[in-house]
Amino acid sequence: MSIALSSAPSRKQLRRLPAAAGFIALLALAQILGQRGFPESWNINLANPVNDLQGWVRDNRGQHWLFTFVFEPFTWIVDFGLERTSGFIGWLPWFIPPTIVFLVIARSGKYWTAGFAAFAVIYPGIVGVWEQSIDTVSLMAVSVALSIAIGIPIGIWTALNKRAESALRPMLDAMQTVPATVYLIPVVLIFGIGQVPAAIATIIYALPPIIRLTALGIQQVPASAVEAAKMFGATKRQTLMKVQLPLAVPSIIAGINQTVMMALGIVVIATLVGAAGLGQEIMQTVRMLSPGRGLVVGMAVVAVAFVLDRVSLAVVVAPGEQRRALPRRKLALILSALFVGAIFGRAIGIHEFPFSWGTSFADPVDTAVNWFRDTFDVVTRPFNDFLVRDVLIRARRLLNETLSWQLIVIAATTLAFHVSGWKMAITTSLGLVFIGVTGMWPDASKTLSQTVVAVLFSILIALPIGIWLGRRPRAEAALSPVLDSLQTIPPLIYAIPFVMIFTVGPVPGIVAAVVYAIPPGIRLTSLGIRQVNKESIEAATTFGATQRQVLWGVRIPLAMPSIILAINQMVMMVLAMAIIAGMVGGEGLGYRSVEALTRSNSGLGAEVGIAIVLMATILDRLLQALAKRMQAPAAL
Amino acid sequence: MLNYGERVPGEASPAIEVRNIWKVFGSGAAAQAIALAEGGASRSQILQQTDQTVAVRDVSFSVGRGETFVVMGLSGSGKSTLIRCLSRLIEPSKGEVLLEGKDLLAMGDEELRGVRRGQMSMVFQHFGLFPHRRVIDNIAYGLEVQGVDKSTRLDRANEVLEIVGLSGWADHYPQQLSGGMQQRVGLARALAVDPQILLFDEPFSALDPLIRKEMQDELIRLQKTMQRTIVFITHDFAEALRLGDRIAIMKDGSFDQVGTPEEIITQPATDYVREFTNDIPRAKVLSVRSVAVAGNPVSGGRTVLASARIETVIPMLLDRDEAISIIDESGKAIGVVNRQSVASMLQAEQQ
Repeated sequence: MSIALSSAPSRKQLRRLPAAAGFIALLALAQILGQRGFPESWNINLANPVNDLQGWVRDNRGQHWLFTFVFEPFTWIVDFGLERTSGFIGWLPWFIPPTIVFLVIARSGKYWTAGFAAFAVIYPGIVGVWEQSIDTVSLMAVSVALSIAIGIPIGIWTALNKRAESALRPMLDAMQTVPATVYLIPVVLIFGIGQVPAAIATIIYALPPIIRLTALGIQQVPASAVEAAKMFGATKRQTLMKVQLPLAVPSIIAGINQTVMMALGIVVIATLVGAAGLGQEIMQTVRMLSPGRGLVVGMAVVAVAFVLDRVSLAVVVAPGEQRRALPRRKLALILSALFVGAIFGRAIGIHEFPFSWGTSFADPVDTAVNWFRDTFDVVTRPFNDFLVRDVLIRARRLLNETLSWQLIVIAATTLAFHVSGWKMAITTSLGLVFIGVTGMWPDASKTLSQTVVAVLFSILIALPIGIWLGRRPRAEAALSPVLDSLQTIPPLIYAIPFVMIFTVGPVPGIVAAVVYAIPPGIRLTSLGIRQVNKESIEAATTFGATQRQVLWGVRIPLAMPSIILAINQMVMMVLAMAIIAGMVGGEGLGYRSVEALTRSNSGLGAEVGIAIVLMATILDRLLQALAKRMQAPAAL
Repeated sequence: MLNYGERVPGEASPAIEVRNIWKVFGSGAAAQAIALAEGGASRSQILQQTDQTVAVRDVSFSVGRGETFVVMGLSGSGKSTLIRCLSRLIEPSKGEVLLEGKDLLAMGDEELRGVRRGQMSMVFQHFGLFPHRRVIDNIAYGLEVQGVDKSTRLDRANEVLEIVGLSGWADHYPQQLSGGMQQRVGLARALAVDPQILLFDEPFSALDPLIRKEMQDELIRLQKTMQRTIVFITHDFAEALRLGDRIAIMKDGSFDQVGTPEEIITQPATDYVREFTNDIPRAKVLSVRSVAVAGNPVSGGRTVLASARIETVIPMLLDRDEAISIIDESGKAIGVVNRQSVASMLQAEQQ
C-alpha cells in the first residue's frame, strides 16, 4: 500500500454525491414551494388558555386550597423572613454589620481581605444607597437561605437515589439553559407582583447549583470511606451524617457560593416583578441615562457579592484543615460587646449612615462618557448604523422574508442530524415548528440574528485572549479578579454607557451582551489550552515543530471541545442577556418578555418563554453535541 | 480491654465457613450465568451470552479460629469480591457463609450491623480513612457508631494507637501521614473494636516495598499475641507465603489450589500455580522436615525444630559440617539434616 497524496475525490466522497445533490434539490424545492415567514394562520394561540388560567387564578386566589394551604403559607414565610431580616439589619447602627463581617473573616487570619470586606459593607452607604442595599441583602439572605433549605435535602436525595437523580438531572439541565425572565412569568402568574414573588423567583432561579453541588459532593466522597463506614456497622443515617455530609462540605459551600451569585445575578431582573433595593436603583439610572450613577450603584451590587462570597468562604473550614476553635468565653465577650455597641449606637442615635458622596463619584463618570460619545461620534454612529441597517435588518429579512420557513427547518434539522443524530434532528424540527405556531417566529428571528452577531463578536474577542492566556498562567492570574468582577456586575449596568454612546436600539444590548459573555469565554478557552496533555506538546516539540505549529497543530485541536463549550457558554450568556437588550431597546423575544411582565400578560409571557427555552435548548444541545464529537475517542 | 462480640458458640465449628459461594455482576438474575458456568462455560463466553460477569465461581473454604488464611490472586481474579462477600459489602448471588456456625446471608440489616460492629472488621487497600477526622477519631469510629461514650472510646483508641506504634500522632489528620502510617491507622481502626475476625483487602499493596515488609512483620508480631482469625487478600505471592497459615490461589473466580505454603511450593496443583512457585527460593519457605534424612542424632550435637525454615540451618551447616538433629514439637527426634540434604534440595530447585 502506498500513501496517496492526490487530491482527487475519494470513493467515499463520490458515493455521497447523489445524497448531497438530492439535499440541495430538496432545499431548492422547499424554497420555491415554501412560504416566506411563518404562516399567521397556524398560530395555535397558546396565550388564550394561559390567560384563562391567569383569570382563574385571579378569581380563586382567595378560596382554592392550592392557594390557602400551599402558596399563601409559603408567601407568608417569605414575607415574614424578608420583613424581619430587613427590619433587623435596618435597626442595627450602621457600624455593626462591617464590624461583624470584619471579625468573621479576620478569624481565618486574612486581615487585608477582612478590612476590604468591611469597607465593601459600608460602600453602599458612602454612595448613598444604604437603605436599598439593606433591602437587597435581606432579599438575598432570605432567598438564599430558603434555596439552601430546599436545595440541600433535594441534593442529598438525588445523590443517594438513582431514580431521583435520573428524574431531576434533565430538569436541572433545562433550568440552567433557561434565561432568568422565564422563571418570572409563572411566578407572577401565581404570586402576583411584589417583594415576595421576587424572592420566590430568586429562590427557584438559584436552586440548581446548590442541588447539583450537594449531590456531586456526596457522590465524590471516596467509595472506600463509605465502604469502611458500612463495614464498621454504621447505619445509613450515621454514614450520611458522619461521613458523607462532612466530606461533601467544600462542595456544598461552593454550591452556596454559586447560589448567592445566581441570586445576585437576577437582582435587577427581579425588580421587574417588584423587588425593592439596588435593582430598583439600577433601573432608575437606566431611565435617567446616567452611566456614572449606574456604575456607582453597580459597584454596590459587586460589593454585596464580594462580602457574601468572602463571608461564606470564611465560615467554613475544609475537612482535614486545622480548626482553631474560638473559646466560648471569648465568643460570648465579642457577642456582648456587639450587643452593647448596637444598643448604645441606637440610644445616642447614630444608627443611620452618616454621610453620602454618591454624586461626587457619579458625575465625573457621566462627564467622561459624554466626552467619549461626542468625541468618537464619527466612529460609533457609522458602526451603529452598519450593524442595524446592514447586518441585523438584513439577517431578519433573510430569515423572515427571503428564505421560506420550510427551508430553514429542513436545513437546521439536517445540521442537527449530522451533528448528533436522529433524536436531535427530531427535537430541532419540532422545536422550530413549535416556535412558529406560538406566533414567535418573527421575534425569534430577530433575537437569533442579534444573538449570532453578539456571539461572533464574543468569539473574535474571547478566543484569541483565551488562547493567549492559556499559555501564560501568570497573566491569567493577574487578569482573574477583573474577570471575576465583570461576572458579578449586573449586566444591565454594562448596557448603560453603551445606551449613551449608541443611543437606544439593538446595538447597546449587543455590546453589553458581548461584554457579559466574554469572561466565561476567556476562562473556558484558556482552561482548554492549559489542560492539553503536556506529553503531546513535548512530542510535537521533539519533532521540531515551531511554536506556531504546536499551537495550531496540537494545542488548539486538542482544546477544541473546551473551545466549543466556551462558545456554547457565550451563546447561553448572550441569550440570557436578551431581556436586558429588550430593556434598552433591542427588539425580539427579550423585548416581548419585558412587555409581558410589565403588562402582566401571562399568555404572551408563556409564548415568549417557550420560544426562548426552545431556542436555548436547541442551540445548547447542538453545541454540546458538537463539542462531544470533537473529543478524541475514549479508550475502549 | 473492652470485649465486644461473642466467641463462645460452637467451639467445634470453624470461625468462617464458606460453601459454594457465587457472585455474578450485571443486571438480571444470576441463575442463567451460574447454570452456564456450571456447564463449563468460561467467563468471556458467559459475558457474551448474558452480559454478566462471573466474579466468584463456586468457592468453598473454611478458616479455623486464629488461622491466617491468605487468598492470593492477580487483578480480576475475583479476590476482592470474595472478601466483600464475607461481610456482605457485596451480596453473594448464591451460596452460604457461616460465621461461628451462623448463617450470615440470612441475617437482617440489624443483625448484620451487629456482626460488623463487634465480630468482624476490615482493613482496606486504599486505607479508607476519613479525611475529615483526626487519626484518633478515625480509630474510634467503630466505637462511636456503636454509641460508646466519648471518653471510653478515646481511651480505647489511644490504647490501640500505641499498639500500632503511632502514639503522638493522634491529633493529626490522615492525609498528613505517610502511606505506611496511614495503613497503621487503618489497622488500628480495625483493632479498636476488638473483632474476632479481621479481613484484609490488599492492605499493603499501595505501600512501597520496604514499608510493606515492615508492615508484614508488624502484622506477624501482632498476630502472635492477638490470635485473631484473619482472611488476607494479596496479589503478592511472597507476601502470601510469609503471612499465610494456608493459602488459596485464585484465578478467574475460583480456587486453583488451597494448602499450606509448603504444600503449594512442593506440590503445585496446576501450571498456573507452578508459575508462581518457580521464582520462590525454597529455603525461605520449606521447613527442615522436608529435607530430613534418616540418621542417628549426633550425641551432644545441635538440634533444630522440624517446623523451622531451611534457611535457618544453612549458616549452622556452613559453620560446622556436622548433621543437625531434627526434633518435633514433643522433642522426639525424627531424623537429621546435613549439608548434602540441603544441597540436593537447592539443586532440585535449579531445575
